[in-house]
Amino acid sequence: MSLARILALVCGAGALLATLPWIASDFGLSLVLTCVMYAGLAVTWAMFSGATGYLSLATAAFFGIGAYVTAWGFGTLPYAIVVPLGGLAAAAFAVLVGAAILHLRGAYFAVLTFGLGELVRHAITYFEKSYAHTVGRVLTDVPESWIVYLTVLTIAMAAIAVSAAVRASRFGLALAGIGADEERAQTLGVNTRRAKIAGFALAAFFAGALGAAMAVRWTYIEPNSVFNPFIGFQTVLIAMVGGAHTLIGPLLSSVVFSMLTEFLRLQFPYAFLIVLGLLLIGLVLYLPGGLASIWPLVRARLAALRARSASLERGGAGG
Amino acid sequence: MGFWLELAATGLITGGIYAVVAIGLNLQYGLMRIMNISHGEFLMLGAYFTWLAHTVLKVNPLVFVPVVAFVLFVLGLVVYRLCFRRIARTSPSVDVIEARSLLVSFGLMFLVQNAAYLAWGADLRGYSFLDQTVEVGSARFTANRLVVFAFALGASLVLIGILRYTLIGKAVRAMMQSPTGAQLVGIDTAVLHPTVFGAGLALAGVAGALLSMVYEISPAMGEPYTVTALIVITLGGLGSTVGALLGGLLLGVVEAFGMHFTSPSLKMLLSYGVFIAVLLARPKGLFAR
Amino acid sequence: MAEPLLAAQGVSVRFGGLVAVDAVEFELGQGELVGVIGPNGAGKTTFFHVLSGVLAPTEGRLRIGGEDLTGRPAHVFALHGVARTFQTPRVFRDMTAEQNVRFGLEFAGRRRSHAHDAFDDARSILGFVGLGDAAALLAGALTPSRQRLLEIGMALGARPQILLLDEVAAGLTESEVEATAQLIRRVRDELGLGVIWIEHAVRALMNCVERVAVLHQGRKIADGLPQAVAQDPAVVEAYLGDSVA
Repeated sequence: MSLARILALVCGAGALLATLPWIASDFGLSLVLTCVMYAGLAVTWAMFSGATGYLSLATAAFFGIGAYVTAWGFGTLPYAIVVPLGGLAAAAFAVLVGAAILHLRGAYFAVLTFGLGELVRHAITYFEKSYAHTVGRVLTDVPESWIVYLTVLTIAMAAIAVSAAVRASRFGLALAGIGADEERAQTLGVNTRRAKIAGFALAAFFAGALGAAMAVRWTYIEPNSVFNPFIGFQTVLIAMVGGAHTLIGPLLSSVVFSMLTEFLRLQFPYAFLIVLGLLLIGLVLYLPGGLASIWPLVRARLAALRARSASLERGGAGG
Repeated sequence: MGFWLELAATGLITGGIYAVVAIGLNLQYGLMRIMNISHGEFLMLGAYFTWLAHTVLKVNPLVFVPVVAFVLFVLGLVVYRLCFRRIARTSPSVDVIEARSLLVSFGLMFLVQNAAYLAWGADLRGYSFLDQTVEVGSARFTANRLVVFAFALGASLVLIGILRYTLIGKAVRAMMQSPTGAQLVGIDTAVLHPTVFGAGLALAGVAGALLSMVYEISPAMGEPYTVTALIVITLGGLGSTVGALLGGLLLGVVEAFGMHFTSPSLKMLLSYGVFIAVLLARPKGLFAR
Repeated sequence: MAEPLLAAQGVSVRFGGLVAVDAVEFELGQGELVGVIGPNGAGKTTFFHVLSGVLAPTEGRLRIGGEDLTGRPAHVFALHGVARTFQTPRVFRDMTAEQNVRFGLEFAGRRRSHAHDAFDDARSILGFVGLGDAAALLAGALTPSRQRLLEIGMALGARPQILLLDEVAAGLTESEVEATAQLIRRVRDELGLGVIWIEHAVRALMNCVERVAVLHQGRKIADGLPQAVAQDPAVVEAYLGDSVA
């Protein structure tokens, strides 16, 4: 599908979804909001980590950084400013961290990004206690839920559009080359260091912006609730289930998972996560390409069946 | 003077735990390229089993340590068979093994941690054991901390000894340096790999058992240790068990002093800082030859 | 005298205590076709890693087209016109042959001017190396010998001035080796590139190149016309009596 068509679809879907605040119930809106948020997170995660193979477990850290930009900035700055600011803060952090650890092997990179959530959480806790003399923050005069919804929707649609554009671009080719054979890509002229940092920062920007946008839904913000590893886990799971190398895979699976999460997580918080853990394990062991990898197989099967029936119709000649 | 000694000793004690966990992770990653990000969860299990044994069965936790080691070793065999063996068999390259085992262990982490939450709840648990104060020179320690340090150091040295002086240990070291060469000499990876994996988890469990004697435990306690273990491995040089021991002790001391001069909340920042500094100065690790 | 395309001055590579490459001096002139031979472990591929920027030398300097690129990352070498193949073909398995070649064109080859029609686009390069019919096939599905040709095509996609070929004839049949040698000659003759070719199939190489350098235990022990090198006693001894001519 050409980039132009994808962008048109994104705009269309975005316009359709934008009408929801006026026709859906509160619960329905909340559900779609979660869906849309995870769609944005999963698609941008796949854009970098799916393509390059550098598994980032830092989504929770970036999300939390964005949330805290809102916690600190909202009130003095309007909502429309803190949201992109949160994204930029997360991206800046990603550039710093990326420059330090992106040259390491994938396994080291992944574990270190995982620790980032802890690191940022501790750092912010320390900062809040020592300089702001507070533990958590209360947000007052938060925007109405339809504004929050439209903001998150805009960010997510932008994330999907950017992701599609990257995949069609030279930059996306560089990322794919890094994932296929990094040294080979280097010898063919790709500045892999710059490409990796840029991809990492781009994904971080959207995670941060989403965090900044969602933060207003909590009335009380404190580090422990905002830096939640579950967000990172869910993002990775969604992308992997859908198929981390595709655009549409994470989109579709984010819908399914958000619904599952909304319905089941509050009822069975621990059992639900146990099942998700099992799901990720089973997926990686038996279907590493995600559900999207089934589609080419299905298509091939259908094509083979069609070819068979066509040759049968011809009376088996040459069949 | 006593105060600095105590601080250094605290650092060494924490470092001893780091070393035990790191040696375990080192074995798994160095030999099989399995990055087990759920390693810390098995530390947590070791802690909970010990806590259970002490509070329910009234067993002396020190006596229980070998039992924990054994139980987690067996658990390791099972986990390897169910989760990691298939990866080793079906992956086209080492990079893929790393990536897949990382994702699998990521799922395993959530699975084990939440199973613990389900079984024992989120509240902090603990018990008191050997908490009398002991005086060594001008410094004062609680007896349990000294015992933990002795055990951690002992476990590390035993493992270093096994790797250096026994046949199987030499086989493991040979394989860590050259997988294909060692296979040609007839070492059976189908037996060796699960054994080493189990040994790694056993070490994590022992670390957890020791920790339970000193600190309170919770299902989330294991997470930070995995990251720290990786940092220690990098400090000490991948594949070097002695390096993991020295690196762990060093990191513990650096953290203790760093936290004293700044703040306990900045512990992770300190470890990361140390990590990055070492990587820049000596990319192969402080103790690599 | 014109600036050599490539000049390695006193290049040494040490891994801990092991000396892989030992103070090698080497030059490649415009349009030269040079072979590099030597027994196993002589340091040939390590030397190539240095020439392509994959590895930084422990000592010595590397000049490409007169510019000192010592220690710069590999993509800078590629942007200055150094392209290479690897001992085992490293193609992007999940991309088509055409996409593989286009990769080089998109990056290193993008801003480099090219003097020959063959470099116009991926199709023409594929045609040049003899893979015109395989453009739409997945690289991973090609036979190993065709993958080697694809690797050469990928390298050409970078529109290089210098082509480093690492054992491109390994595992090929006699006739395939001959065809490869002819292709290499054409790369030099028609496209005007400087070529350095490492090979174990020494016979085919000696018949094809106009100069040969011999590495042994990391040191360069000979550098001259093929016939002269073949009779050099040091070279004969290095190969332990194996015939090189």
